[in-house]
Amino acid sequence: MSTVLTEAPAETSTAPAREPWSAIFALARFESRKLLLRIPVLFMLAAYVAWIVWRTKSGWYGYPALQDVDRATQTGPLLVGFAVLLCVNQAVLRSQRHDTERLFGVLVLEPWRRTAAHALSILPVTGLVVLGVAAQFGWQAVKSTAVGHGSVGELLVGPLCVLLCGAIGLLMARLVPKPFAIPVAAVLLLVFSVLAPASIGGGSATAWLTPIVGEGSTKTIPSELIGRPAVSHSLYLTGLALTLALLAVLISKGRTKTSTAVLAGSLAGAIALGVVGGVGQAAGVSSETVAARTVATLNPQKVQSCVRHGRSTYCAFPEWVPRTATWAEVTDHVQSLAGGTAQTRKLLVQQRVEARYGMEGDGAIEPSTTPNQVTVRTMWGGPRTPEFSAAVASVLVLGNEKAGGDVCDGRMVTIMWLALGWTSDPVTELRAVRLSDTVTGSSIVLSPTNGMTMTAGQTSVVRELLAAGPSTVTPKVKAHWAELTAPKVTTAKVAQLLGVKAPGGADKCE
Amino acid sequence: MTRESGETEQAGVQPPSTARVLAQLTRPVLRALPVRGLAATAAVALLIAALPRLLSDEPDQWSALIALRAAALTFALGLAFVLDDPARDLTSSVPTRRILRTTLRVALVAPFAAAWWTAAVLLIPSKIRPPVGDMTLEAAAAAVLSLAAAAAALRFTAEPEPGQRVAAGFLVIALVSPLALPNDWGMYVSPTEKQWGVGHDHWAMVLVGAVAVWAACGPEPVRRRRLIPT
Repeated sequence: MSTVLTEAPAETSTAPAREPWSAIFALARFESRKLLLRIPVLFMLAAYVAWIVWRTKSGWYGYPALQDVDRATQTGPLLVGFAVLLCVNQAVLRSQRHDTERLFGVLVLEPWRRTAAHALSILPVTGLVVLGVAAQFGWQAVKSTAVGHGSVGELLVGPLCVLLCGAIGLLMARLVPKPFAIPVAAVLLLVFSVLAPASIGGGSATAWLTPIVGEGSTKTIPSELIGRPAVSHSLYLTGLALTLALLAVLISKGRTKTSTAVLAGSLAGAIALGVVGGVGQAAGVSSETVAARTVATLNPQKVQSCVRHGRSTYCAFPEWVPRTATWAEVTDHVQSLAGGTAQTRKLLVQQRVEARYGMEGDGAIEPSTTPNQVTVRTMWGGPRTPEFSAAVASVLVLGNEKAGGDVCDGRMVTIMWLALGWTSDPVTELRAVRLSDTVTGSSIVLSPTNGMTMTAGQTSVVRELLAAGPSTVTPKVKAHWAELTAPKVTTAKVAQLLGVKAPGGADKCE
Repeated sequence: MTRESGETEQAGVQPPSTARVLAQLTRPVLRALPVRGLAATAAVALLIAALPRLLSDEPDQWSALIALRAAALTFALGLAFVLDDPARDLTSSVPTRRILRTTLRVALVAPFAAAWWTAAVLLIPSKIRPPVGDMTLEAAAAAVLSLAAAAAALRFTAEPEPGQRVAAGFLVIALVSPLALPNDWGMYVSPTEKQWGVGHDHWAMVLVGAVAVWAACGPEPVRRRRLIPT
């Protein structure tokens, strides 16, 4: 009896000091488990995984640039974010819906501590999204064909959006504790965030206030020239999410003076963080970046490194140097089909990009007039590959890139044969390289710089050559190389030399 | 006691006619409707429909289409709460069938919904307004689908107020379906695309299907069962 009396008060006197915190964590654990098992969250997580797989399979033709991959991870987490927004809100309102608010009033956790626990419950699902982003980025980054560098700031945007959504749900539950408020507010937010950037316009400081900032251009530029304030933006998003969550805790009841002071201090810190990020991201592109963009566009040789593969030299921005070997394979294939001096000619393959407008706009690149110089761009794979081989072939046949825009005679057949004859599925490549995505009739042939024109007659001759295959055509090309590459040679003459049916009518370019 | 038995004698042994029950039910049902929630939802939906005007001096057709669709979705989300009945544990045992009560609720909301939709359509400048008939079909399909989902939730769970869960699920589906449905189905295309016509055949099918689900989920379940353990 006496032992019981002496032991019992000792336990009760030590316990309350740390119980509220452990109770917050216990509630946060319970709520996060409950949140992860809600049907909308599970459904959206599944949709997110499906989105990652779909995006990864369809993107970049197997040749990713990591400075583009990081931005491509941003929109998917919004799916999960929306489910979190709804479900966190409903979790906070659960006690009201089930009318257990009065029962909770006698428990150890005051409302503000319960709000804090709800805020913490968002973290595990955010952790899952971090894993998703890491998987999506890592999937591309481990490819041996990947080039460039990702930015942590850009990668953090997706998970931070989930946190922000959860914080909005939390704050809404405390501000408007009505069940119908949150779905409606979610749609309003979504529509506003879709419509507002379109009317504000991209690139401005106001556009950076939205969580996910898209870009007007889909081209790839070297990572140091992108000039997006990614780190500032993730600071801004962190500050915003923390501010909303702390505000939700601060307007909940039951605070003591000390806790109010601590919370107000943290809120001030969060606002400061958001403001620092907001100011940083509003600064715009630095003058160094602008200068570097101009240099990279107009005098790329100043910043590029050159590598020799076989006969030819390949100059690329440092991030693309590993890819020069892939370009060299294509050049070698094209040269192996050529005849005369063209088979052994030394080429200079130079990478060029219009970077002066950053990611906001595109610009055409003027074809080079230097003999034996070929332009290669920053993207590769899919249609980009035959476009490059068409440029190599045109330089081999015509001498320089500029002449490709004016060629209208039978030499176009030779160019297209050199460009496509070595590929495993030349007809598909022919379709890919033509602007109209057809294999009949006349069309523009795309190339890294200006396009070339193919008439309907040339198209049919090229198609017949591709059907005949390199074993029959290559010896004839090598034997008649001088005639095939002579200026003003007609398509009919070329067809006759290569032993295929000649088209009716003279060469006429539109 | 005596007064109650007197009333029973007055009414006779015959149960009162449906029309009379409906007339008597109108006022209590009107009082039980989540009027404030519906009004708030409708107001926000009108705000969404006005966004193209508010955000830009020269709004384009694309923003008008998005705003009108989002407004219809918002109102449909509000409709998910129409069948909520906090007193369900009591009302489930009254002799008046549930389908009668829920139909009455919807009938009372319908004129309001029609007036709201007219206002939403008028908020879109006439120059950029998508075809009104087709958009009305979409809005009606969304609205009935939401009501059917709420009816299904009542039919298959014992929850008195399933509106919140229904709205969350409905919103999640509405967000994912434009990404997941094949473009050929044409349900979320713009009027300039050729799938617009096919898409509205599909919207009509959704509407018919939703009405069927609504009707099938009308009766009160005889036995309570729980699909989702809480």
